Amino acid sequence: MPNRILQPELVAIDSIDFVAPKQHVLSDTTSLYHMKDVPNETSRFDLYFDAGVCRGQKGIPSFVNGLLLSGTKDKTSNELQSEINSLGGFLDSGISIENSVVTVYCLREHLPAIFKTVVHAIQGVTFDKNEVQEYLVDRRQSLKISQEKVGYLAQQRFREKLFASSQSYSYTLSVSDIDAVTIGELRDFHKKHYLNGLNKVVVVGDISDEVITEIKDAVTPIIVSSQEDFTDKITNEPGKFEQEKEGAVQSAVRLGRTLFNKNHDDYLDFLILNTILGDYFGSRLMTNIREDKGYTYGIGSMIAELNGTGYFLIATEVGSDVKDATLKEIQIETERLQSELVSEDELELVRNYMLGQLLKSADGPYAMTDLFLSAEIHGKSLKFYNQALASIRDITPERIQELAKKYLKWDDFSIVAVG
Amino acid sequence: MISFERFTLDNGLRVIFHKDATTPMVVVNTLYDVGARDESEDKTGFAHLFEHLMFGGSINIPEFDTPLQMAGGENNAFTSNDITNYYDVLPSKNIETGLWLESDRMLSLAFTPKSLEVQRSVVIEEFKQRYLNQPYGDVWLELRPLVYKEHPYKWATIGKEISHIEDATMEDVKSFFKKHYNPSNAILCIAGNIELEEVKSLTNKWYGDIPGGQKPVRNLPIEPKQLEFREKTIERKVPVDAFYYAFRMVPRRNQDYLTVDVLSDALGRDKSSRLYLSLKKDQNLVSNIGAYITGSIDEGLLVISGKLNNGVSFEDLDAALWKELSALTTELVPTNELERLKIKIQTSKEFNDQGLLNRAMNLSMHELLGGAEKINEESEIYQKITPEDIQRIARETLNKTNCSLLKVKADNAE
Repeated sequence: MPNRILQPELVAIDSIDFVAPKQHVLSDTTSLYHMKDVPNETSRFDLYFDAGVCRGQKGIPSFVNGLLLSGTKDKTSNELQSEINSLGGFLDSGISIENSVVTVYCLREHLPAIFKTVVHAIQGVTFDKNEVQEYLVDRRQSLKISQEKVGYLAQQRFREKLFASSQSYSYTLSVSDIDAVTIGELRDFHKKHYLNGLNKVVVVGDISDEVITEIKDAVTPIIVSSQEDFTDKITNEPGKFEQEKEGAVQSAVRLGRTLFNKNHDDYLDFLILNTILGDYFGSRLMTNIREDKGYTYGIGSMIAELNGTGYFLIATEVGSDVKDATLKEIQIETERLQSELVSEDELELVRNYMLGQLLKSADGPYAMTDLFLSAEIHGKSLKFYNQALASIRDITPERIQELAKKYLKWDDFSIVAVG
Repeated sequence: MISFERFTLDNGLRVIFHKDATTPMVVVNTLYDVGARDESEDKTGFAHLFEHLMFGGSINIPEFDTPLQMAGGENNAFTSNDITNYYDVLPSKNIETGLWLESDRMLSLAFTPKSLEVQRSVVIEEFKQRYLNQPYGDVWLELRPLVYKEHPYKWATIGKEISHIEDATMEDVKSFFKKHYNPSNAILCIAGNIELEEVKSLTNKWYGDIPGGQKPVRNLPIEPKQLEFREKTIERKVPVDAFYYAFRMVPRRNQDYLTVDVLSDALGRDKSSRLYLSLKKDQNLVSNIGAYITGSIDEGLLVISGKLNNGVSFEDLDAALWKELSALTTELVPTNELERLKIKIQTSKEFNDQGLLNRAMNLSMHELLGGAEKINEESEIYQKITPEDIQRIARETLNKTNCSLLKVKADNAE
């Protein structure tokens, strides 16, 4: 009979192997990162462009991102898709506030051919009238569907308040902007931000050096010549902003404030505070608002990073009748972290949990590459994660309280509720 | 090729071990052979509510999550119409914490009345979040009873209605555990950088003394063959008209199951698929369209769904769609098209197999379906599928009398 009362003895995580991809410098502004050590046939490449939402107006960056594969003068969109799909490629393109990324997953033997197709498609996109028309009709439709979701509405409203000081960061897509855009505007943006906009290439997979050289040659013409700065000055508009959505049985809540990124001295310790508050299943918010009160299916907090700054966010969807009660409890939890010291037991739990999760996020070439990239974007090397290990081990209850007092003041938050 | 070892404990617990020497993590995956199809019609949503309660404490351990987090791990679970699956991912040095926790909750649950009350509310919020407060969120609540008249697939995992969850009693929940949660009804898969001997000794240590129990006999009503086209229109406050064509298909263990999968890919997997090219790109009838299979163990569905463009009627779409479907029954799929579908399947399998957790879950599922070794046979079965096979399956499946159509009409369409 095993002893079922006592937890088996735990072994501490003393070190983690962090492995960097190989860097190939392409220019002052742009590098290619290659993670070669992949023990199977899979591969991936990412093309990063300085073509995020903040670089344009009226939804244009997002439309251009969505139209990158819409056809060149030699090939229709159907032909481009067929070339990629016939080689088993999965293409994904996405845009965030500060960048635009095109990603392909495929077997490594087909990576060279798919890479060529994708780069040519991006370089030669003509913004064919019919394709643009079709795309905008689809966007209009999907926007209308999104606008029926309380989560989407709250997220957009929150962005407006979070980035209140910057129009290009707080922009949210509207139907009238979809209707107003012209092909000329799309072409201008593409020329400026894609034909002269590539600022990072990532390759994961057991790909030969010859192929890496081909890839470097293929992208040389579109490398960004000089990297524009990103803003480091964003301030949110504190206050409570509520919006009614007829017929909604749940309310979406988003609240937070502008904060910082990995380049700030408080970042690593704040990450621990964030975990305690809302970033794991046993967090204060989950324990109170889901597991004690049953108000929600889920609630969480996070730090989101931008090139020059960052922000803190708490998000949940709750029964409409308990929205105010939920906000009250969130306030209680943020204030409790300021007024009471975290117990050693809880801190020990969070330490162990975070170490285990860091170990996991370095497990395997894909996870390791992403971990590397999230430090690289802030000019950090993998040493940063050794600092993270140290910070997790050395954190004290007093330090947590100090950070809570500094950054979790209720009056500093922008609070949005839609429902 | 995914290698594994298999052994069975004296109490009937089947154990699959998959060694991966490259990872510092270990996965402990437990599949229970119980899903929403095992519920009675007046108490639906139980398998899923129960999954929530499995975290509320077991006979010797007051709460599940904290000790696992203390070991640096995390866990989650999901319930489908067929199975309930629990997984823990933790640093492999701490594997015993995972086995201690999972074996104790297999031994006996000990959740409190408060835990039942709270999880009941949490599940009701989940019901709202996923099914009621989303545009098109209730589609499956409508589509299932249109297709299934007898088989328990007629209700969704979340339950037929919120009142079933509201009315669940402590007694109901306890008898559910007693019936379905025992070693003879479970498959345990352990994956990571450990040795077989260690796995054997650890599983014997933690699971060996759990009474085997009786594997429940499943005796589900058989869904009669569908003989007529079915159609239902619902009006909802959504911006766009949407359609869902559901075709009955062979069960998961049938030899033609993977052929139906390829057929659905031909119809609507990606932007080179037939329906996308014809109905969207050529005819401009829809803003999006896709096809997929539900992956059910019993007779599942091949579903074609999408949204209409403004000004297009359901009738326009219907005519164009059936024309494409009939092409698959009258003409053979060209070889290069079939090659394209196969390489896409092969690529997604390679990526799927990349993740340790995926491997553990897939091994467990295959073991349930008839033997974990089948995980390594699928690729060959796919490769052998011929244009003639696809035509035969298209003729069997893509019939009007085998089809149920749900139309969601926008009641505020422009």
